Amino acid sequence: MGGDWQELAQAAVIGLLFSFLVAKLISTVIAFKEDNLRITRSPPTSPATPAAAAPPPATSLEGHGDASDEDDDVSDSDWEGVESTELDEEFSAASAFVAASAASGTSVPEQAQLNLYGLYKIATEGPCTAPQPSALKLKARAKWNAWNKLGAMPTEEAMQKYITVVDELFPNWSMGSITKKKDEDNTVSASSSKGPMGPVFSSLMYEDDDQGNESELGDIHVSAREGAIDDITKHLAAGVEVNMRDSEGRTPLHWAVDRGHLNSVEILVSANADVNAQDNEGQTALHYAVLCEREDIAELLVKHHADVQIKDEDGNTARELCPSSWSFMNLAN
Amino acid sequence: MAAPNKDAAAASASDPAAEEDTSIEALARRVQEHMTLSSNPSARRHKFWETQPVGQFRDAGDASLSDGAIEPPTPLSEVRADPYPLPSAFEWFTCDLDDDSLLSDLYSLLAHNYVEDDENMFRFNYSPAFLRWALRPPSFFRSWHIGVRAKESKKLVAFISGVPARIRARDAVVRMAEINFLCVHKKLRSKRLAPVLIREVTRRVHQENIWQAAYTAGVVLPTPITTCRYWHRSLNPKKLIDVGFSRLGPRMTMSRTVRLYKLPDAPLTPGFRQMELRDVAAVTRLLRAYLAKFVVAPDFDEMDVEHWLLPQEDVVESYLVESPETHEVTDFCSFYTLPSSVLNNANYATLKAAYSYYNVSTKTPLQQLMNDALIVAKQKNYDVFNALDVMENESLLKELKFGPGDGQLHYYLYNYRIRNGIKPSELGLVLL
Repeated sequence: MGGDWQELAQAAVIGLLFSFLVAKLISTVIAFKEDNLRITRSPPTSPATPAAAAPPPATSLEGHGDASDEDDDVSDSDWEGVESTELDEEFSAASAFVAASAASGTSVPEQAQLNLYGLYKIATEGPCTAPQPSALKLKARAKWNAWNKLGAMPTEEAMQKYITVVDELFPNWSMGSITKKKDEDNTVSASSSKGPMGPVFSSLMYEDDDQGNESELGDIHVSAREGAIDDITKHLAAGVEVNMRDSEGRTPLHWAVDRGHLNSVEILVSANADVNAQDNEGQTALHYAVLCEREDIAELLVKHHADVQIKDEDGNTARELCPSSWSFMNLAN
Repeated sequence: MAAPNKDAAAASASDPAAEEDTSIEALARRVQEHMTLSSNPSARRHKFWETQPVGQFRDAGDASLSDGAIEPPTPLSEVRADPYPLPSAFEWFTCDLDDDSLLSDLYSLLAHNYVEDDENMFRFNYSPAFLRWALRPPSFFRSWHIGVRAKESKKLVAFISGVPARIRARDAVVRMAEINFLCVHKKLRSKRLAPVLIREVTRRVHQENIWQAAYTAGVVLPTPITTCRYWHRSLNPKKLIDVGFSRLGPRMTMSRTVRLYKLPDAPLTPGFRQMELRDVAAVTRLLRAYLAKFVVAPDFDEMDVEHWLLPQEDVVESYLVESPETHEVTDFCSFYTLPSSVLNNANYATLKAAYSYYNVSTKTPLQQLMNDALIVAKQKNYDVFNALDVMENESLLKELKFGPGDGQLHYYLYNYRIRNGIKPSELGLVLL
């Protein structure tokens, strides 16, 4: 008796399980069909558009022939999607931000996610006309509800609300996207390098130390190059030789002059740096000052008895190389 | 053209809550996206240009398409008679550049709103004299100098222009418009004026029974005939470094850089002198013979040469080599002057740049000729000498200490197909 009862219960459980599986199978098959249908019936430009949804506004230019012959009904809508509005751009920046943060695993409350989903669909595809997903597909159903409940909300309003939600979730989101937004601005406007047409402003590409220059600098040379007077003083106090040479025979004074750091030059000179030290090419700090047109520094060096007559390996003296207006060079020596 | 691409946004990003959306639809979409992106990184959608008779990305490799016009001309009677409508606060306005005050309006629109570099450190500053030169070549059309102004204030807020040119593409000489100086005031970026300007200039070009055009852009649009790179030769390296046009490596000295770019005080080639009016015929002969080597090049006659190449102070400089013995003109070089405003620099307001224009060498080696061009440019206080890698330029750039620039310039033809494009060295056309 007890055994029968058990058997019956077992059969009932198995039957239930079986029928659930069948139901699940059927719903899967139906969903699969829907998907197929969607693929075939979606316009190629936006495969995500459900079968009967209105095409996104941006595609209104599609199918026009040569636009310049399309004369009769040129209206403002003709420019939809050609140039974007600020709202378009902010919306697309916001949605890109959301996608990026979703990809990086930032957690967003379920309700906000659904909210964003619905607004995104309205903004990009318009009102929901997709069939309601089966109640068994919980997540899909929730998403559909989020979209459907917004009814016929206008695109602009959806974009605006989307941005508002993102603003609330991530108050600083736009900070990170400023560079990106700038790039987009550039693409849109005619008034920057990436304008729709016209010339390009190009500047020299930075090639990392490309001149085959493998010179090795000591710390004091680097400090002199950067004009870091405190560091220079520290190095000198620690006993670093003031006329220490780098691999090209340059002293800290050469570097300070080269980069135009008057204060550093003063400190080095008053620490008894050799104003007439020549680098491996025979050039003195004064040669550097002349070539780099650093008149104040040249004058300071001359005042500290820099020799204007020293020849570099090309046979040039600082006096010969300097502009004629530098009278202090002629008075010297 | 820059519409934030909604498909792309949906793809890269996709709906925030759609992780489980692994349906076939999403999969297909992803595959499709991946294919377009990987096969052509520039295959962003171009909703405007896809409606235009220009080479489309999808045509690449389609052997059934032939070179030449993409669309036949339409009868003139079918060209739209009225200007395209503008947003209601604006009106069309033809800029008569004879009028100094209108020229100065155009100058200041461009000086404040035209092309900048990516970091917004420099902005082109075409001089008024340059604009007059660039916009009024032989048989120019005044109606192609198209302004948009605010109805109320009469302030010029946008501009686009075309000038007529005969351009040879392979064996066919085609009347074209060279489109340039498209500029929309910075405050009106969201007003969607650029496409309407492009359509309006197209309409006015069609009205003159011209159906092709040439233009350049810094962005990839459907579809470049070639992509060139700018190269830069420092003439005043210290200033270029100070204004941020170039940079000094941490182990490089300014003094060595200055010495590296030093040039002789005077041109080296005997008989090197400025071009004069009497040289027009000889220069035209040289130029026509030389430009015939290239796949796409202008078809210059003497009138064109007189306009485009006769020297004008701070606009265009031309030099030639006249043999001291035979007095024959054997070589020619030229560059135009395009300064840029240096934005936000305490010491300098302007960068003076020379842009290599047309050069022909028959006796003097091209490299020596260009070196002399660098020398005269340095004498005339230019800060930098720029050149594209078009024509034979590439052969001399490195030797003459040009460095590669960060700017790429794409060349386009409107309603003219050149299948498979050409190499920069096959291009003999320089647009200003």
